[in-house]
Amino acid sequence: MAKPIIELKGITKIFGTGSTAVTALKDVDLTIYEGEIFGVIGLSGAGKSTLVRCINLLEKPTAGTVIVNGRELTALSEKDLRLERRSIGMIFQGFNLLMQKTVLDNVCFPLLLAGTPRKEARKKAEKLLDRVGLSDKTDAYPAQLSGGQCQRVAIARALSTDPKVLLCDEATSALDPTTTLSILDLLKELNRELNVTVVIITHEMKVVEAVCHRVAILADNKIEELGTVEEIFRQPKSLAARQLIVPGSQSPARETFGAGRFLRITFDGRERTDKPLVAQMVLHTGAPVSIVFADTRSLNGRLYGQMILQLPEDETIIENMLGFLRQAEVSFEEVI
Amino acid sequence: MQLTEMLSLIVKGFWETLYMTLGSTLVAYAIGLPLGLLLILTDPQGLKPMPVFNRVLGVVINLLRSVPFIILLVWVMPVTRAIMGTTIGSKATLSPLTIAAAPFIARMVESSAREVDRGVIEAALSMGASPRQILLRVILPEAKPSLITGGAIALTTILGYSAMAGIVGGGGLGAIAINYGYYRSNSQIMLIMVILLVLIVQIFQEVGSRIAHRTDRRIREKD
Repeated sequence: MAKPIIELKGITKIFGTGSTAVTALKDVDLTIYEGEIFGVIGLSGAGKSTLVRCINLLEKPTAGTVIVNGRELTALSEKDLRLERRSIGMIFQGFNLLMQKTVLDNVCFPLLLAGTPRKEARKKAEKLLDRVGLSDKTDAYPAQLSGGQCQRVAIARALSTDPKVLLCDEATSALDPTTTLSILDLLKELNRELNVTVVIITHEMKVVEAVCHRVAILADNKIEELGTVEEIFRQPKSLAARQLIVPGSQSPARETFGAGRFLRITFDGRERTDKPLVAQMVLHTGAPVSIVFADTRSLNGRLYGQMILQLPEDETIIENMLGFLRQAEVSFEEVI
Repeated sequence: MQLTEMLSLIVKGFWETLYMTLGSTLVAYAIGLPLGLLLILTDPQGLKPMPVFNRVLGVVINLLRSVPFIILLVWVMPVTRAIMGTTIGSKATLSPLTIAAAPFIARMVESSAREVDRGVIEAALSMGASPRQILLRVILPEAKPSLITGGAIALTTILGYSAMAGIVGGGGLGAIAINYGYYRSNSQIMLIMVILLVLIVQIFQEVGSRIAHRTDRRIREKD
């Protein structure tokens, strides 16, 4: 593959000191290559926001080396670090736009900070706003825009200094599903057009699935698993990966089902999706069942998740069904 | 007292009050604004953490703020003489008013600056902004509406202080109220002065709030 653009070596971050110290990252090594869209996924508290902030040194790691674009950021002076940050764009969950400035001025802002003449900055900003589809909003203020539009402004702003890397910290977490997809599509397009390396921090597997080439799974403050998105989806090795990928870890409480007997069938990837298990059971026993809850997904033709069935009242039919499931070698249990 | 005499007295007092209030507020902002920003900058969680300096500055500001104005007025007389060349008259009250107002304004500025979203500052840092750029181009513009509201509060507070100027022979509406209304028991003059002072406070406050509201871009404009 292409050359490495971000290299994290032995990154440890500890907040606080003494007995109140909290470890956010433990000896993390990570290499991200030029031009890829890299996802970092983890549940909250896994340290993913800290990890992304260690890339542009908004958080100074307690130990370890950060190399971006061939320069060792951890060895730079404050002044040189500021210069280097211009080649690392960043967008945030809360957009973080300047509320008292117009959309155009927001996009011009990083350029003006870098000393670009006003006229030139304006021209560049207009072009970028046009690219993200907001050329009609240049004179609006952020408060007049929707969340998705705000994030587009933030993307245009982050790209104004032609960065090599774009860091996205939960950039779609505050957006609805449709807007999330449109923002992800935009990131994908920009990645292709500008060859900008995109690092996406998220807690949503669907974000990773939609755009990322490779993904790292962060759990307990370290990288639990790393690979291409297909690899991880096909064969999640770590518990953390399975928890994130496999749905159905949460099901509704027993009380919500009402009276009757209920059966939970758990699919752990042994079942193929083209095998109609429940339908076969119904045909086999000649008695219908009602599916009261289902949360499943197929990964590479394998079925994961769980399903809750309401059993018929007849005891002999129930026995028959349980016998069928036992023979089919799926895991099941009665919901009590 | 004749009506014309009274009128000219009031007009003179009115201008003296405006002179003392606006003059000292202006100078006090020139001192208090940088001090407030310095408090934010050197805060332990700030852009250039200097905990010891921050602590010392905070204590000095608190000390100055805890001295009652009427005592400060007398206390700083030597300073006043050194700066203004005199310790009597409206001009002489400018220095104690400024000394009383500057720390108060520093705290107001600090609190306005603290209202600026940390995320926006973080975004500016990620763009490579220097602490100076963040103060001048992020914090000040983003805090503008709050700073203007604070300005109106500062102005009305200083107006209240200026009423005590009569003690050192300063003029203004407050001095008239004390000299004529209180010492000479002229309840009519007293009432007029109080009404005038109330009106001025109302105007300062209203104008300040309106400007703050109009310049605040966080408020959605109605079509």
